[in-house]
Amino acid sequence: MKREAYGVKRWDACSACWLLFMIVSMMGVLASQALAESLITAPQDVRVFDTPSDSGESLTVQWAPAPGDSPDIRYQVLVGDAATTDPQKLTVVGEFPSNSKYVRDVKTAWWTRTAEKTWHQVMIKSAKGLEIKNDQPYAVAVATVQGDQRVFSSLHVAASSANWFNWNQLNNLIIGLSFAGLVFYAINYAKRHEIFLRRIPGLDAVDEAIGRATELGKPILYLTGAHDLHDPSTIAAAVILGKVAKRAALYETELMVPHREPITMAVCQEITKQAYLEAGKPDLFKDDANFFITSDQFSYTAAVDGIMLRKKPAANFFMGHYFAESLLLTETGASTGAIQIAGTDADHQLPFFVTTCDYTLIGEELYAASAYLSKEPVQIGTLRGQDIGKAVILVVLGVGAVLATVGVVTGAQWPQLALDLFRDLK
Amino acid sequence: MRGPARLFSPITDHVSLITVMSFAERMLKIDRRIIFLVIGLCTLLPLLYPVGLPIKISSEVRGVYDHIESLPEGATLVLSLDFDPASKPELYPQAIALLRHAFKKNLRVIALTLWVSGTGMAEQIVTQVAKELGKETGKDYTFLGWSPGGQAVIINMGQDLYSAFPSDYSGKPTKGLPVLEGVRNLKDITYLVSLGAGRPGVEEWYVFGKDKYKFEMGGGCTGVMAPGLYPLLRSGQINGLIGGLRGAAEYESLIDQKGKAVAGMDAQSATHVAIIVLVIICNLFYFSMRQQKSVGQG
Amino acid sequence: MIFLRRQLPIIITLITGLLFAGQYYVPHPASEQMLTSATKWMQIIGGFALILGVTSLFHQHAVKIGRQEAGWGYSLVLYVAMLGTIAVGLWANGKESVDGAMTAFGWVYNFMMVPLQGTMFAILAFFIASAAYRSFRARSREAAVLLVAAVIVMMGRVPLGEYLIPLSGDLSSWILNVLNSSVRRAILIGVSLGAIALSFKIIFGVERSYLGGGKE
Repeated sequence: MKREAYGVKRWDACSACWLLFMIVSMMGVLASQALAESLITAPQDVRVFDTPSDSGESLTVQWAPAPGDSPDIRYQVLVGDAATTDPQKLTVVGEFPSNSKYVRDVKTAWWTRTAEKTWHQVMIKSAKGLEIKNDQPYAVAVATVQGDQRVFSSLHVAASSANWFNWNQLNNLIIGLSFAGLVFYAINYAKRHEIFLRRIPGLDAVDEAIGRATELGKPILYLTGAHDLHDPSTIAAAVILGKVAKRAALYETELMVPHREPITMAVCQEITKQAYLEAGKPDLFKDDANFFITSDQFSYTAAVDGIMLRKKPAANFFMGHYFAESLLLTETGASTGAIQIAGTDADHQLPFFVTTCDYTLIGEELYAASAYLSKEPVQIGTLRGQDIGKAVILVVLGVGAVLATVGVVTGAQWPQLALDLFRDLK
Repeated sequence: MRGPARLFSPITDHVSLITVMSFAERMLKIDRRIIFLVIGLCTLLPLLYPVGLPIKISSEVRGVYDHIESLPEGATLVLSLDFDPASKPELYPQAIALLRHAFKKNLRVIALTLWVSGTGMAEQIVTQVAKELGKETGKDYTFLGWSPGGQAVIINMGQDLYSAFPSDYSGKPTKGLPVLEGVRNLKDITYLVSLGAGRPGVEEWYVFGKDKYKFEMGGGCTGVMAPGLYPLLRSGQINGLIGGLRGAAEYESLIDQKGKAVAGMDAQSATHVAIIVLVIICNLFYFSMRQQKSVGQG
Repeated sequence: MIFLRRQLPIIITLITGLLFAGQYYVPHPASEQMLTSATKWMQIIGGFALILGVTSLFHQHAVKIGRQEAGWGYSLVLYVAMLGTIAVGLWANGKESVDGAMTAFGWVYNFMMVPLQGTMFAILAFFIASAAYRSFRARSREAAVLLVAAVIVMMGRVPLGEYLIPLSGDLSSWILNVLNSSVRRAILIGVSLGAIALSFKIIFGVERSYLGGGKE
């Protein structure tokens, strides 16, 4: 009996403990659920405004982060007609976990940022079933969602509009204007002072090439590249053509300039004519020295290769921008034994030119060529300006790398202030 | 005083007169037609007798594949086939592989070209793959054709796609096409891939398209252009790059539908190795010639 | 006349240059619209300029045929090909196929233009090989470094190379991504600065030689 009674008592104690444990656990679950539910609060400090520095048709929504932001809790952005008073009637245009979409995710600089980096930010744009029109007010709300629960912020009304200046690009404008100022200062400086210009072997060889063509009684072939005159490399090629044509005129050597673009041809005709006039040999100028072939890449290449093989020019000049035709042209030129001088800003074609030409002007040397050939202070000053610009970029690269590293290592925000000044922001 | 001119003047190759030259010198000045023959054979033989070497997938090609893979059904993919027949061997297999992938994922494909000389070929490519996968023009895909202006077309599409292309290649008005539902301009597209053989191409789509109208984009190009586009890739301006025949072969392997690119990789392997061997031989002769000269001077 | 030939173009360049440089900073649709309109004008001007080009082309070859200069037969081929293509193009309304049937223009495109262009591009592979054979010599230490890098990249870009030297794939990727990208960026920075400086000089009329004519 005792044992039995003892047994009963023991069972009672166990079940009581079990019951207690269950109650405590259930209370815990209920408490944690209640705690979680109590965390769902309406988004705070919601701001809705026209997205700055854009072409319109978009609104920006910002709100403060909540302490309970987590992947389980989601935010909804809702938009609707400005007359709507019930947020339930708005259309959901975006839903995402509450620990995402921050101001820091958007590429902006400190001078255009309108909220702390930790705030949430969403841009509302036209999408399927929603059209955001300029100067039309819209009602916007943000909701916190968990399970079936949804808590709305207050309604905000805003209208989008197109802006006249992109403030994110202010740094770009200032840097551009500073560089322009620098170039013009350097030009003025060059007018008053002597500036050293390093030798460019490719340009020293221009005279040699023309001289050789004269000796052999063979023509000179000059190409201005694949682009039209909107490209600086074509303009540089046209400028150099003037210098080459002048010397060709002085040496009374035939010049052939096949073109891929009619406007460039017309301009180069003028430049060549003037060069012959300046050389005092206007009677030697031929209108058909500049001629059009075709704008098609490989048809042009085939035609020029044909000219090279038939007429065997003693000097070939490849100035301007080139694509896959570069090697087809220069390799054919090399096979005819011509002196070849190339100048291009097409970095992807440089290896081919370097391999097959006697001299190659690399990158900005093409732009420097007119300065080198003319020795005019204006041109030389520009080069000095470019060099200073390059030095500034080098310093910025070095200092920027150090600052970025410091920022990452220490977690400090101040390096970003300086880094933003040189960021490419749109 | 000129003699009678010939109707077709002969095009003669420049062959240097071989005087008294050492063997090494003679080998260095070898007739380039012999080199052409070697390269020709190295291309032809593997095409006739393929080996089928395994292809390793690079991260840049995977970038484009993964992005397309992550797109939901019905997302819009703009495929700009910016090349002409000259670049067909490299870019045609890329276009085929990309289209197969996009159609299998049931993406809405908007194809176009910025190269007038590539219009016919681009249309053939799109129609062929669509037919193969049972896709319907106007509903699942559209080929907009070509519009003049190059980069101006991109800007125009960024503002209003329907003003840049009022009708598709077959002449149907683009407004109201089911495939273009919800797409007003480039801001509304999900992903863009430009397969470019030059300009306008990948760079123009970035500068005048993505940069202004903010969409995700990937690129494809000829092998010779690929190193030039790596800076765009590294800076995240494009999220993937399919470079040349190799890139196309990788993409074909990724979608598990091996085609012309995989077959061409054997030929490319052989030519690369042939060029390497030629360069090594040329250097051996060069050093032997230098040695002979220094011994002669000594 | 001097005003029309010198001052007026410079004034137009200054105004349009500043306007379009400023356009980059203005996100307003009006600015985009202006850019689109200007590019359309350029296309129209370009279209008219093509007349200049075609006239030059026809004239040059007509003279060759007239004088029966060496190779005048090629000029004849050019005339026949050009006029023939224009004729079939107009006949087919510029379409390569109508209802699945190939037009004459389509035939020219598919069976002449495609193989001819393909051939020209394919020559590149042969020329690369001959140029590499002729020029890729370890003349100096720098040239030797270049040579080794080129061999690694060539091996790493093809399956056979990776099969023979497994490390070449990763090495070539590293060379392309790190060394190649950084050098290209350096060249691009130089090129961009040069292009910006030249643009400023043209906009402000400092560089005028592209207009033809020398110093005033």
